Order: sequence, then C-alpha cells, then structure tokens
Amino acid sequence: MGEDKFDVIIVGGGLAGSTAAYILAQEGMEVLVIERGNYSGSKNMTGGRLYGHSLEKIIPEFAKEAPVERRISKERFSLLTKDSAVTLEYAGAKTGTPGCESYSVLRAGFDRWLAEKAEEEGAMYIYGIRVDDLIVRDGRVCGVIAGDEEMESDLVILADGVNSLLAQKIGMKKELLPSQSAVGAKEIIQLDAATIEQRFQLNPGEGLAWIFQGDCTDGRIGDGFLYTNKDTVSLGVLTTIEDIDGKETTIPQLVDRLKNHPAVKPLIEGGKLVEYSAHLVPEGGYSMVPTLYRDGVLLAGDAASLVINLGFMIRGMDLAIESGRLAAQTAAAAKEKGDFSADTLASYQQALEDSFVMKDLKFYDGYEKVMEDRRLYQDCPAKADRLFADLFVVDGSGAKDISKKIVPDLIEGLENYNS
Amino acid sequence: MNIIVCMKQIPDTSEIKIDPETNTLIRAGVPSIVNPYDKNALEAAVQLKEQHGGTVTVISMGPPAAKEALKECLSLGADRAFLITDRAFGGSDTYATSYILASSIRHIGDYDLIICGMQAMDGDTGQTGASMSEHLGIPQLTYAVKIEVEEDTVTVHRETDDGVMVLSTKLPALCTVGKDINEPRSATMKSKMRANKIDISEIHVDDMPGIDREKIGLKGSPTRVKKTYTPTIKKSGKKLEGLTCNEAVEALAGFLTEKKILKGELV
Amino acid sequence: MTIEDKLGVDKFHTDEINSHIEVDKESTDMEEIQKVIKACPAGLYKLDDENHLLFDHLGCLECGTCRVLSKGKIVKDWEYPIGTRGIEYRMG
Repeated sequence: MGEDKFDVIIVGGGLAGSTAAYILAQEGMEVLVIERGNYSGSKNMTGGRLYGHSLEKIIPEFAKEAPVERRISKERFSLLTKDSAVTLEYAGAKTGTPGCESYSVLRAGFDRWLAEKAEEEGAMYIYGIRVDDLIVRDGRVCGVIAGDEEMESDLVILADGVNSLLAQKIGMKKELLPSQSAVGAKEIIQLDAATIEQRFQLNPGEGLAWIFQGDCTDGRIGDGFLYTNKDTVSLGVLTTIEDIDGKETTIPQLVDRLKNHPAVKPLIEGGKLVEYSAHLVPEGGYSMVPTLYRDGVLLAGDAASLVINLGFMIRGMDLAIESGRLAAQTAAAAKEKGDFSADTLASYQQALEDSFVMKDLKFYDGYEKVMEDRRLYQDCPAKADRLFADLFVVDGSGAKDISKKIVPDLIEGLENYNS
Repeated sequence: MNIIVCMKQIPDTSEIKIDPETNTLIRAGVPSIVNPYDKNALEAAVQLKEQHGGTVTVISMGPPAAKEALKECLSLGADRAFLITDRAFGGSDTYATSYILASSIRHIGDYDLIICGMQAMDGDTGQTGASMSEHLGIPQLTYAVKIEVEEDTVTVHRETDDGVMVLSTKLPALCTVGKDINEPRSATMKSKMRANKIDISEIHVDDMPGIDREKIGLKGSPTRVKKTYTPTIKKSGKKLEGLTCNEAVEALAGFLTEKKILKGELV
Repeated sequence: MTIEDKLGVDKFHTDEINSHIEVDKESTDMEEIQKVIKACPAGLYKLDDENHLLFDHLGCLECGTCRVLSKGKIVKDWEYPIGTRGIEYRMG
C-alpha cells in the first residue's frame, strides 16, 4: 500500500460502515472509515429496536458488552382514535430467547461502541470530515474527495445513509421519492429505570416495543412508536412524506399528539425531554433497492435502501449490519483476486440475494401497497373502537350480539393459521 | 524555531451542568474538548512555524484520555505531542501544575518560544502560563493579539483600553493568547490521517530526575478552595416605559437625584 | 413545549455563516410551501405575517425531508453541513 492509498475507504461510520470495517480489518485489509460527525452515531437515530441476529453472527453475545438499552420482552400494538386505544400485547415464550433477541438501542452510544470495536481490529477512523465527492476515472470509482484533498482506494463502500448524496452524484441512485420515504421524529424522555419498569410492567433489563396506528399520524400513512430504554423512553412518529398534504398537522405536532394521547400520557408523566431527533427512512421495499455495485464501489445499509417497514415491525439496522458484512466479504474476495471491477463485485448482489436481506425484502415486496391502505389509519382504529366498545361497555340499553359472532370468528381464524 | 504549546483538555463548557444542591460542576459523562484558547495558541504556533520553519510540540498534563485532545492538536498542525501523566501529579493546583509543566519543558529541551492559551475555560484562573515562565526564568508576554518573531526577538501586540501596546523581548520567551489572535484552522482528511500515525509519548515523574517531589501533586499545592457559590441574581432595574424622550430624561434625572447619584438640577 | 424548546435541548455545532440548504425564499408556491412547513420535523420553514417564506438552517436535523419533497422548487440546494458541524446527537 502506498502512503495514501487504502484497500477500502468506507464513507459513513454507522452500523453498515463499521460492520464492514470490523470484518475488513480482521481480514487484514487496510481500511479507512470517514465519518462526518464528531463520532460514530452522532448523526444517527433510530426508533428504535435492533434485531440482534445479524450482529450476533459477527460478535457473539454482543449485548453483554455493547451499550444496548433493554432486551425487548414485550410487544404492543395499538389502534388509536382521538380518545381510545385498542391494544394488543404479546409476551410470548420465544420473545427474546437466544437467537430471537432484540434490543432497544440509542445510536450515539451503540454506533460508537461498534466503531471502537472496528478500530481495535485495526480499522482507521477519521471523524469530522464530510466526503464531498468520489474520484471517478473511466467510470471507475477510485477514491474520495473531501474539500481540496483526495484519497485513493481500490474500493469505496458507500454506507453514508438514507440520503446517500454520493451514490446520487455518481448516478447509482436516483433522488428519493416522497412516496418511498418516511420522516421519523422522536423524543427521548428521561424517567428513572424503576419508574419505567413499574409503569410498563417490565422486569429489570427487559423492555417494551410499542407501535401505534391511527390518531398519532392524524390518519396519515405511518406509525407511532414507543421503545423503553434503560432510563429513558423513545417516543415518536414515522409518516410517509408524500402523505403530508391534506391534513393541517405538522410533524412536530404529531409527536405531541402521541405524547398527549390518553393511552400514553400517564406513562411518561413527569419525564423530562433530553433529546429531539429526526431522520428519513427509505420505505420503498425491494423495488426501491438501487444498483448495489459498480466498478470500485458498493452500497450498504440505508444508502442501499435496505429497510422493511410492515407497520407493526420496522427493520433496518439488522439489514444494514448484514449488508456491511457481505460487502466486506465481497471486498476481501476481490482483494484476493486483485480485481475490484463490477464483474467481481457482482457477487455482493448475489450474496445479498442469498441472505435474509433480499429474501425478506422480496417476501414483503408489494406489501407497502397494503401499508398504503388508508383504511388502516382512518377506518380501522374507529371501527376497532366501536367493536370493543360493543364488547366491553354496558349501558343498560340492551346487549349487542357482537360477542356471539366475534368469538367463533376468532377461533375459526386462529385454527386456520399455519405458520 | 521550536515552539512548545501547552494545552489543557477541559470538559465541554457547553455541556456542563451545575448540581444545584452542592453548587459543583457535574463532570460525569461530559465530553472533553481542547481548551479553546489553546487552539488559538496552537494556531499561532503553527503560523510561526510556517513562516520560520522548525517544529511545534504540544504538551498536556492529564489522564491518558487526554491523548484524544493531543491527537486533535496533531491534526491541527502540531508535529509531536507529549502527555505528562503520573499519579504523583494528581491534585495539583496551578502552582504545582506550572512547576510540572516547566520541568517537563526542561526535560523536552530545546525550545525558543512557549505559547499558552490565556486561561482554561473551566477554571479561568489564567495563572498557569505566567507562573510557568517564572519557573523557567524566561520573560512573559501575556494576552497577545499578534506575535511576530525576527531573529532572536519576539514582538507581541496586546490590546488595552487606550490602544495597542507593543512589547518585545529576547527568545526564549513565553506568550499567552486569547481568541482574538486568529481563527484556528479546521483539520482536513489528510491532517487527521497524519495525526493518527504519530505516536504520543508520555512523560512520567521518573523521567524528570531533577523534579522536587515536594512541589507536585496535592502536597505541592498551596491553593485551598474555601468556598464556591453561585452569585445571587440581582433584581432587575427600573424600566421607564411609555414616556416621551423629555419625560424620560426628567424622570431619570429625578430618580438619580432622589438616590443622591446626581446633584443639582437639570438646566 | 414548543419545537424551539425541544431543539434547545439538542446539541448543535452551528455553522452560523454558511447555510447547507439553499431555499428559494421568494417562492410564492403556497402548495409547496405548505408541504415543507408541515413536513420539516424541526419546524424551520415558516411564513411571516405577509406570507413570505422564512427559513433558518440553525436547528436543522439534517434529515433531508425538505429536499425529497421539494427539490428544484423550494429547496434549491441541499448538502450536509461541513464536517463536525450541525446536529450532534448525544443519544440518538
């Protein structure tokens, strides 16, 4: 290696970038990570929950040393009207058992930890530098440009997040479409651990993941979310930005709406706001995934739009980590071969197709259309409210025959479910 | 020309909270930064090096974590860095600290100029630089807004209420600077990489055989903090509102006369 | 708590001079303006009493929403702030 040439330069020290750096450094490759924030995670936020399986493969039992917040042991889903909530809670025997763990996380601490792991393995990190452009010669990416300086490498991995202006600059990716993008806004509210455990009925160290639909987005396509951390609660909304029109509410107002909802308000009472954050989420599903490789360059994580949002389940970080791992493996193989051309790097696409990343994205391909069904956010919460009112409210005006109908339907439906 | 810059790693002052019960700083979990005035000192040193050649050495006394701050200084143009660290230095006040820094500078040797920030933003004493020059027996030119070196003479400008004072002295000397002297540069991709590759050496008490162990650490620190307190906020003054200009002047004059601040009558 | 109060809790290394977002403040396209006003999670797009568009990059959370919604219309140019500047999440 020359003084100023690396095997791989990774743009972005988030989960995809640091996972790739960790593995490349282990493989003995010269790797440089360039992060525009003052530390990894300083520009990142999540709802959020990390499904542990993909990082578990790389760093077994990572949760013992990583700054995870709580191991999720309980799931809730609520349909909200302005003043009612129909809530389903699930705490199954399998939730959070080995191989199925998920954790609430806060990215500033978590990403920093992963970056330090990669540094320990020998990856070089530089912080506080924004990469402005890529060096492209004869259609081949040969390095990065920051200010008036250039740095060369055999391969550039773009792990620069959902906006990936760099992938756009070299034409690998088009500008995001409003229909494929959701904006998330989140408050982190401080409460002490004991209060959280008491209010959300949790054992010490265990956590709750809660998704809301309906009133919290003012009927727009999207969700509200609440995750319990160690001594804070993450609470916010995620709304498709194409759907911003038509209603008068603003995104900040939606966050307040969820906070003040009667199903939520008493649970965060007395809590203190310690951070407010926002981020875009690529939600276009499989069809939104751009070109992932080209001569001398790979895309990973949010930059590659690897996110699955099913409404009741939102996944991005586990896909980012897997894509980082596969990008690193592809890079190591290319180094072995001494060839970083698109032909060689095509194996990255194949590896992703063979992994859960593309399999799951493909499985849910088109599902975003289901999620775009406005009935989910407008009619369903109101109807659920009426249904449960009929089930549970006694006003002396005569019984409704609803329970006579719904219980047999429920039994029938569950009987017919084949996992 | 060889320049030594003294740097202190301090808690990020924008992140500090005061414990209302004990009136002390809550330092836990507060990120550390390079004392901003020390960045000006470093920038001044690097500019002089760019004009005259030589090296810029940054030294800092503190725990091993201060290496991060030294690394930042390396990315901002310093050539080498030393961390002065030892359990024996713990509890040092400004007197002991300046003695340790001076001893370390003797240990490092060959220097023409020492530049310090005028004070650290956490303690704000402004004593360390000046007392270091006394320990070293060299002249000090404090609060410089401009530093020029010609041959073996350093000339500084310092701003006073009446104008600019220009002072010169022979090298070696010590200067302290504030934020008005320059705008510190930003690190670049390559300067950060260069900094990553430079080893930061440590200086321990055993490296300085001539040091008087009675003058360091808690033992060597005569300063005793008797009391710290948050000043009570004064009541806001009286506001004259809804008056014409003349009425306001009269009301004000009347008020001041009544309080015996003004004598006589308005003409 | 207003959005300004919420942003006041956050840590920013502000670039007071250079805005990383170039906004067409002369725009009178109310439909577009309403979109960015509603969608900006930091509430940085506002209208004054005479319906002129106001925008301040200080407090930007760098999400990109306004760019995706209105690039080429209200948003003329959108970059990340230069290295080290802008929002710094302590928690994320």
